[in-house]
Amino acid sequence: MIAAPPFAATDAELVRAAQRGDRNAFGALYERYAGMVHGILLGRVPASAVEDLVQDVFLKAMPRITSLRDPDHFGGWLAAIARNRAVDFFRESNAAPGHLEDVPQAEPKSTEAGGVEKTEADFVLAAIRQLPEAYRETLILRLVEGMTGPEIALRTGLTHGSVRVNLHRGMQQLRQILEGVEKSAVKR
Amino acid sequence: MNQRKLQGEDLPDNERIDSYLWDGTGEPNAEVQRLEKALLELRHRGAAPAFPLAVSLSEEKPGLGFLSLIWPRRFVALAAVSMIAIIGIAFALKKESLTSSRPGWEVALIDGTPVIGRHSMQGSGAKGKLEVGQVLVTNENSRANITVAEIGEIQVDPGSRVRLIQTSRDRKHIFLEEGTIHAAIWAPPGEFVVDTPSAVAVDLGCMYTLHVAPDGTGLLLTTLGWVGFHSNGRDSFIPAGAVCPTHHKVGPGTPYFSDASEAFRNALSQLDFGSLTDEARAGALQTILSQARKEDALSLWHLLSRTEGSERAQVYARFAEFVPPPQGVTRDGILQLDQRQLDLWWNALDLGDISIWRFWEQTGQPSKSQAIREQMRQKKEELLKQSR
Repeated sequence: MIAAPPFAATDAELVRAAQRGDRNAFGALYERYAGMVHGILLGRVPASAVEDLVQDVFLKAMPRITSLRDPDHFGGWLAAIARNRAVDFFRESNAAPGHLEDVPQAEPKSTEAGGVEKTEADFVLAAIRQLPEAYRETLILRLVEGMTGPEIALRTGLTHGSVRVNLHRGMQQLRQILEGVEKSAVKR
Repeated sequence: MNQRKLQGEDLPDNERIDSYLWDGTGEPNAEVQRLEKALLELRHRGAAPAFPLAVSLSEEKPGLGFLSLIWPRRFVALAAVSMIAIIGIAFALKKESLTSSRPGWEVALIDGTPVIGRHSMQGSGAKGKLEVGQVLVTNENSRANITVAEIGEIQVDPGSRVRLIQTSRDRKHIFLEEGTIHAAIWAPPGEFVVDTPSAVAVDLGCMYTLHVAPDGTGLLLTTLGWVGFHSNGRDSFIPAGAVCPTHHKVGPGTPYFSDASEAFRNALSQLDFGSLTDEARAGALQTILSQARKEDALSLWHLLSRTEGSERAQVYARFAEFVPPPQGVTRDGILQLDQRQLDLWWNALDLGDISIWRFWEQTGQPSKSQAIREQMRQKKEELLKQSR
């Protein structure tokens, strides 16, 4: 029987153990990286589909992990699988990536008028989704998944500089979008 | 703008990122805090799924198998291109393929509203397609029937989650995350594989019921033929009428016939999954040996490789009383767990030819034997007769 890897194992150690077929190690990688995968998908596909796709990304990654030559690149490699899975999602459902609202939510909150009530989270997420891809992804990892800048860099394989740019500029643009939404709401 | 373009870039000297936005330190930024609070409900909270045991590298890089041994590489490539063209034309001519290009199996509603991916099945006679990667979910009121390519049927009971991992000519692979399925399969042994959180069930030509509890433990009951149950270096073979439990951290336990005495079954369970003192362990083994009937040689054979030293010698002696060692099997060989001798002795039980299992174990492929394929064809007839 393969022993469970210690909690303190590095990502590279876990990857190497997973490559030897250790499912506990792969489970530990899931614990560390599920938030990142979730964030990447949330910026690209309807929220109702994200949880299932997170599992799907890991199930796709599992048999392929032996092909990963450099264990230090696991995060970037997994992020690429997640982005590709999002593309496949729209290919399968014949929906355009820009129309994230087209797919109904799993448990829509009905209003008295029969419509679907939007929460503040929905509004902010919709605003973030208008940002360029790189800003959108990094901001979701920071604001939704609660990862710090250094952690985002570590998990995704981006440099600290890139993450700083994405967060700073992304936040500036998000502010403009949200101010625009608030102004148009006041006019109405 | 993409990731690649931004990689390596950094902010100019006259722009500084807010330290709270960067790493949560420094003066809390009210705007960022408000956004964090609003978006908190969208954060990932899903628990880690149980990952399949039987996923292997060979699934990702399908080879051309034995063809590459007998044909020069360029002919194999040419044949592969021709096959792809033929398959492409066949698919283009087939109307059904227009609905979806992904491989999958037909699902028919039996009761309730099973869900495939994000789509509910509703109404009498409703049908759907379970595609590779998708999950079929039945709630407490739902049941569904899956047609497994052309090699069998699976009934999915209420409260189950079944994911289709792979369907190809030589390999049909599902992952039963939770719940109960009843499988009737007439494929060559080794072609149909069911992963569970605690063991992999490999069809060796049979009908069986497989249950997985929410904690990942499982139970397999074979009604026709036999099934191999495999995990953590432990193999269990379950012939018709036998049952095998499986445990998340141990793998498959020792199979037993369902009509074995309660004392025998309890003692096996203690030996397999209990944390026993030496004394308690010796007591459990004595119960097993004293309660064993001739049919229970099935369990004793498995115990040979799950015991050590004097325990194994006791099991050997009792097993030999029921099934005399065939030619080529010696006491020393068995006590040293000589694989060839263990296999010979298993075959003497006449519960299934273990060479089929060894072939699957070594290649991950179903048996290529024409004789076995013919047996499976006959089994299909038998199963169809039973279902009428």
